[in-house]
Amino acid sequence: MSDRAVQDLVIRALADAPFRDSAAWRGRGLADQDRVERFARFLARHFYFERIVHFFKYSRALARVTGRHPEAILRRPAFDALLPTAVLGGRETARAVAGLVVDYVREAGGAAPYHDDLLRYEEAMMVVEAGPRTSTSPGTGAAPQTVAGTLLLELDYDLPVVLPKLLQPWTQVPEAPRRAAKLLVARSRHGRVAVARADQAVAAVVQLADGTKTLDDLAHAAGLRPAELAATLQDLTEIGAVRFSTGS
Amino acid sequence: MSRLMVGAFYNPHLGAELVRAEGIDHLAMADPPAPSDTHWPAIKQRYTLLLHDYLGQLSEPLDDRAIARARSLAALYDTPWVAEHFQCLHTEDGTYNLNYVFPPLYTEEFLARFVANAAALQARLDQPLVMENIPGFFDVKASQMPEPVWLRRFFEATGAGFLLDLPHVWLEAHYRGLSPDTWLAEFPLEHVVELHVAGVEQDGDLRGPWIAPTEPSDAMLEFLAQAASRCPRARAVTFDAFSPSLTAEVLLASVDRIRAAL
Repeated sequence: MSDRAVQDLVIRALADAPFRDSAAWRGRGLADQDRVERFARFLARHFYFERIVHFFKYSRALARVTGRHPEAILRRPAFDALLPTAVLGGRETARAVAGLVVDYVREAGGAAPYHDDLLRYEEAMMVVEAGPRTSTSPGTGAAPQTVAGTLLLELDYDLPVVLPKLLQPWTQVPEAPRRAAKLLVARSRHGRVAVARADQAVAAVVQLADGTKTLDDLAHAAGLRPAELAATLQDLTEIGAVRFSTGS
Repeated sequence: MSRLMVGAFYNPHLGAELVRAEGIDHLAMADPPAPSDTHWPAIKQRYTLLLHDYLGQLSEPLDDRAIARARSLAALYDTPWVAEHFQCLHTEDGTYNLNYVFPPLYTEEFLARFVANAAALQARLDQPLVMENIPGFFDVKASQMPEPVWLRRFFEATGAGFLLDLPHVWLEAHYRGLSPDTWLAEFPLEHVVELHVAGVEQDGDLRGPWIAPTEPSDAMLEFLAQAASRCPRARAVTFDAFSPSLTAEVLLASVDRIRAAL
């Protein structure tokens, strides 16, 4: 085994709690297990602090009304209870941690009528960012496929209108128009989470692109003209919501 | 030793205070300025800026995109040098990423990797490269040589500068049961271009001290003064704190106390 492969084992042991507890890791005796465990717990708290502060920044801005700072969950027993199964960067762990934040902040009651929508939006951002980085290419095949983890959010309030205002100085909680909004949340090839408004064409393509339909099939199923489909696919590929399957 | 610049990290949430601050010679940039950062133009105009972003881990070659980003940031900041870390924090296939600085194994294989990849990066940069030491909380039995020996061989092979993070040395000494001075003496101080200093606090998970966005203790500042006197090529000392919880009071007081200690 190369030194690089040994380093990968150490990194995995720190990131992946079930692996850290396995005979496959422990049997190698590469490092003091107690110190590895302590450092892994430290890393987990740091890892999710960074993500909570970033993805729940709007709820942080509302904390002076709610009294609930999202990152406070990192010092609560429920977070400690996740640590024996946590996999840093894993989607299930992201979902679990984001769920703790949502429950904790929501308990304080709504700081604004749109607060439930806001929490769903922030949770979606954090979950979409997680998951394996398996492909860095938009693909070259003929069958578009919605990238795993891409989410369509249907909201009661038009959140994009209010989000920038929440991060500016305010005395009264900024208001959001009560009108339905559909947002697409995806992760780009470079790991950044992108959000775009989803019109009917976008929503249809994201729901129908399964990697088996040709462009003609997809255009027919989504009720789009070829030029409309091409433009939609270009936008979706750029934000990482769709890639082209190379087939089997 | 020429006069040392004394500075801190640019913390965007403290932008208003930093625009007005006195007694800060430079700011290290851990992240690019956000488009919404209204203080950035004044910060850029006023300060010497040091590129200290995550460019990539030099256990692997940086790809063209990463190098283009490094060059673009270096030009934006007009940085006198470009900093990276002796780190290997994600697996080669990208599946696991610690998102926190973590040292490589101190082996011949990793030395060859870091030397080759640093040399390739240096060839594409218009500024000198400096590399920062990263603390280990535990030893990995696969390592083949002490960290200071590995670092010395790296600097001699590449001609890169040394960004000496003193709290990292201090923490390693603590967890090895050594005196910080004894451990520091092993490091290649003749290559140091910049020093980092920071506060440490007790961490509940580690059950011991670790870096924290607090003021450096008097003992740490004394350690800094001793270290700086042994680094003949050092040009800057930076208060190494970058956190949303850092306050302007802590940052400004720390810079003042660092300057007073030197």
